[in-house]
Amino acid sequence: MTTAVHPTLSHEVTYLEAISQAIDEEMTRDERVFLLGEDIGAYGGAFKITEGLLEKYGHHRVIDTPLAESGIVGAAIGAAMMGLRPVVEMQFADFISCAFDQITEVAAKNHYRWNAPVPMVIRAPFGGGVHGGPFHSECPEGWFFHSPGLKLVAPSTPYDAKGLLKAAIRDPNPVIYFEHKFLYRRIKAVLPAEDYIVPIGKAEVKRAGSTISVVTYGAMVHIALDAAARLEKDDIDLEVIDLRTLIPLDTETIFESIRKTGKAIILHEDTKTGGIGAEIAALLAEECFDCLDGPVLRVAAPDTPVPFSTPLEEFFLPKISDVEAAARKLAAY
Amino acid sequence: MDLDLSVIAGEITRTDYLHLYYYLRLTRTLETRITALYRQGRIVGGCYTSHGMEAVSVGYALPLESRDVIAPYHRDMGAFLIRGITPGEVIAQYLGKRTGPTKGKDGNVHIGDLKRGVIGFVSHLADNLPVATGAALAFQIRGEPRVVVTNTGDGGTSRGDFHEAMNLAAVRKLPVVFFCNNNQFAYSTPVCAQMAVPNVADRAKAYGMPAEILDGNDVAAVYVAARRAIQTARAGGGPTFLECKTMRMHGHSEHDPAKYVPQALLEEWKIKDPILKAEAMLKALGYADEGHFQTIGERANKEIEAGVEWAEQSPLPEGPETLEGVFATEDEVAS
Amino acid sequence: MHIDIIMPQLGESIAEGTITSWLIVPGGRIEKDQSLLEVETDKVALEIPSPSTGFLTEVLIPAGQTVPVGTLLARLDTEPPGTEVVSRVGGVLVRQMDHSPVDENHYSPAVKQLAREHGIDLSQIKGTGAGGRITKKDVLDYVAQHTAGDKASAPMAEPTASSAVPQGDQILPLTSMRKTIAERMIKSRQTSAHVVTVFEADCSAIAKFRKGRAFTYLPFVIHAVARGLREMPLLNSSWDETGIVLKREINVGIAIALEEGLLVPVVKHADRKRLTQLGQEVADLAERARSKRLQPEEVQGGTFTITNHGGFGSLFSTPIIHQPQIAILGVGAIHKRAVVVQDAIAIRPMTYLSLSFDHRVIDGATADGFMSAVKNYLETSAWEHVL
Repeated sequence: MTTAVHPTLSHEVTYLEAISQAIDEEMTRDERVFLLGEDIGAYGGAFKITEGLLEKYGHHRVIDTPLAESGIVGAAIGAAMMGLRPVVEMQFADFISCAFDQITEVAAKNHYRWNAPVPMVIRAPFGGGVHGGPFHSECPEGWFFHSPGLKLVAPSTPYDAKGLLKAAIRDPNPVIYFEHKFLYRRIKAVLPAEDYIVPIGKAEVKRAGSTISVVTYGAMVHIALDAAARLEKDDIDLEVIDLRTLIPLDTETIFESIRKTGKAIILHEDTKTGGIGAEIAALLAEECFDCLDGPVLRVAAPDTPVPFSTPLEEFFLPKISDVEAAARKLAAY
Repeated sequence: MDLDLSVIAGEITRTDYLHLYYYLRLTRTLETRITALYRQGRIVGGCYTSHGMEAVSVGYALPLESRDVIAPYHRDMGAFLIRGITPGEVIAQYLGKRTGPTKGKDGNVHIGDLKRGVIGFVSHLADNLPVATGAALAFQIRGEPRVVVTNTGDGGTSRGDFHEAMNLAAVRKLPVVFFCNNNQFAYSTPVCAQMAVPNVADRAKAYGMPAEILDGNDVAAVYVAARRAIQTARAGGGPTFLECKTMRMHGHSEHDPAKYVPQALLEEWKIKDPILKAEAMLKALGYADEGHFQTIGERANKEIEAGVEWAEQSPLPEGPETLEGVFATEDEVAS
Repeated sequence: MHIDIIMPQLGESIAEGTITSWLIVPGGRIEKDQSLLEVETDKVALEIPSPSTGFLTEVLIPAGQTVPVGTLLARLDTEPPGTEVVSRVGGVLVRQMDHSPVDENHYSPAVKQLAREHGIDLSQIKGTGAGGRITKKDVLDYVAQHTAGDKASAPMAEPTASSAVPQGDQILPLTSMRKTIAERMIKSRQTSAHVVTVFEADCSAIAKFRKGRAFTYLPFVIHAVARGLREMPLLNSSWDETGIVLKREINVGIAIALEEGLLVPVVKHADRKRLTQLGQEVADLAERARSKRLQPEEVQGGTFTITNHGGFGSLFSTPIIHQPQIAILGVGAIHKRAVVVQDAIAIRPMTYLSLSFDHRVIDGATADGFMSAVKNYLETSAWEHVL
């Protein structure tokens, strides 16, 4: 087993450290894995996730690039097609829009069109609650949800963060890995010492319940769990499903839950209109109509850019009380 | 331009020159046939040719080794043929047949095949430039003496991806050669409305990248310059930018009558046709005569006709095949 | 609070007025005294101010119409539309969840489905949901109460086996798998009108393609069957009183013989899979069926079944349909036979394909059409293209 740059796995690690460990372990395990991004080498990354890796693996495998998201992603595509396994870091998910064209037109379509696999990962630190304003807090997964050929994952715990990143690096397809910056240092866990992956395409029931199914991902998983704790005493028993993977969606787990409870709330931090919740709500109406004992509700951010000022951002982000109110209403229906 | 015969004789052997000539004829014959099929309504969708510009693609592709990679654009038929894409496959692709390189998933010249070192491009021109740069990065990381040659038009160099790719390649001294087919028009936009510099090659200076300007209709000149730039890249000397001055003799695509191109310009370039030029040079060097040209022409014709027949007999894909191939599976990825 | 907007009297002798235009869109917010609509009579045209701040929830008379004075034109709602539930819609007004007494015949889909399944008259149930709605829990509680009651009456006595076992005879206790199989087989025969049609197929093209490749015959059959089902969706359906349900997915079950009975794991979306994948999946399912490691969902959701009875030498058979499907294909042993090909005798590996189908749903011609197509695919497919 490798000596990781970060301390070994006998004590709690943060969500951020879990990501670092995944990168480090995969780079040792597979010499094809290499990193590209802005300020990731000498500086160790804006969030210090890649700290120490340049010293350990050298400047051929940890590449400090010019400020050029489109060029970097395009280069990663080329390198992936030549048999390497690039992991690209977007400094903030908000900057992924500069590479939108390369991701959706080149990476997503290459295999479909001419059988060329593009095994690459783009890490995108997303989400708000850090006073980041409109360009450092965005949830852009909705844009890519609609692009066939991409896989999208969004872990909510250190365990899932490590396992999903490993799975993404080993996947032969382009994967966008949405890591939630609010969770970086705020959640910790003890992780297994041995190598493990979390399979892409499998949701997880983080809390079993019988009254209402809450389908969610990212930092909102914790909001849902907190709401569940408050509602427990009033006999409203939430089942919280952590999607973990957005594409391909684990409809089996979602449908099984709604068949049990008959009531669903879809919760995401992304803005409401056209967010992933809309697709899940449509699927429930199409495939689980006969199981529904109440309308499918969505709790999401309003259709605005992420505001900066604290009272505005607090209004914007879905809160525990929003989930509670929706659950109470639905439970009483 | 005056041709110094002794210099040219020193740089390029008879075999290589005849090889180049053969590919010029093969490309011209194939694209003429495709244009005919298009006008007969037997090809649907767009039809893009490199008519009059064949020397660029043929010139840059021939010096490459099989372990090298090209990242072409839509006027690179000569390069496809040199890399081993057969005329039959090209026609099958145009006809949307299942036997084409994309099995009907994509059309016209959107051809790619990793095994033959051809990176399939997308319609968003200049997107392939960062991809080419990335392929070169992979070779550098692994210490492999392999080279990428990429090509785009004058219009492609206006996009951000051109800038980002050139910059990345120069900063990291990657083994990639950037060709530019400056055929003076991007659809209806003349090059003077495309950029404020007189030559596309002037842009390379901004990246600290060496550049050359070539007669894009002289296949020997392109070949010799390409060979040199490829050797430089292979030896770790970094990228070169090679601008080929040529002329787009047909419209942007075959449906475009291109009335915006002044007739005088077309007349001027007609006599500089790359095949005519090559024939004049081959004769002057004593490498070939009309008899040779005739034989080679007939050979090219035969090859094209065989390809057309094969492609026409190939099956079309079936509707549900639309759903296949969105994702790659584990076993497809080379270890 | 709701406020009625009526056509005002715009003069003593005026009896009617025409709405020339509404100045607020339906659902829009309006301030007290803000102009709400424009009205015209033959004497005067006026803007009518809103009596209150609120939202224009209902417009009953559209612009351009002439109505008598006093006609109800529209309704305002003074309550803002916000509840926590709808606040996350970014300013777009949506209707609140209705708390008014529910229309008696409004049942949720889950409630209707449960009522259908249990044969319940919903008018018998008292609802505890919002506004007196019958909830799923209400139905389930009702069912629980009533089946408890029914247990009091004895079930119809079943014919019992004779109690005395003759000496020398041995009784093998019924395993739950055996009981299940028995129940299902009898039920299937009693449900479907089974008819069998038999075709033969020349497997020489497949035999040739298999050389040097690790494929059994089954993936080829699955591939051909999936194509056939795509073309003739009636074979991929089930019977319901409301109609024949054409299934969207093509999930092919493969009967696997076990020591103690039989399992039918399902290859999902068989029509989307290439040969290689089918081969791998079949091998994996069979292996896990035998080692009892199948997941419950892997034996559910089948829409058509294939039974490879030829494995033990059987030539053709009359298999029993796996309910609620409407057909099952038996594949017999592959034997070299002398057959006539272009008026000459040839030796070919042949197999008999026996299709049992439900005559309630399809007729012989349809079944034979399907079998013809499957036979054709088996015999003439370009297998290298679907590898």
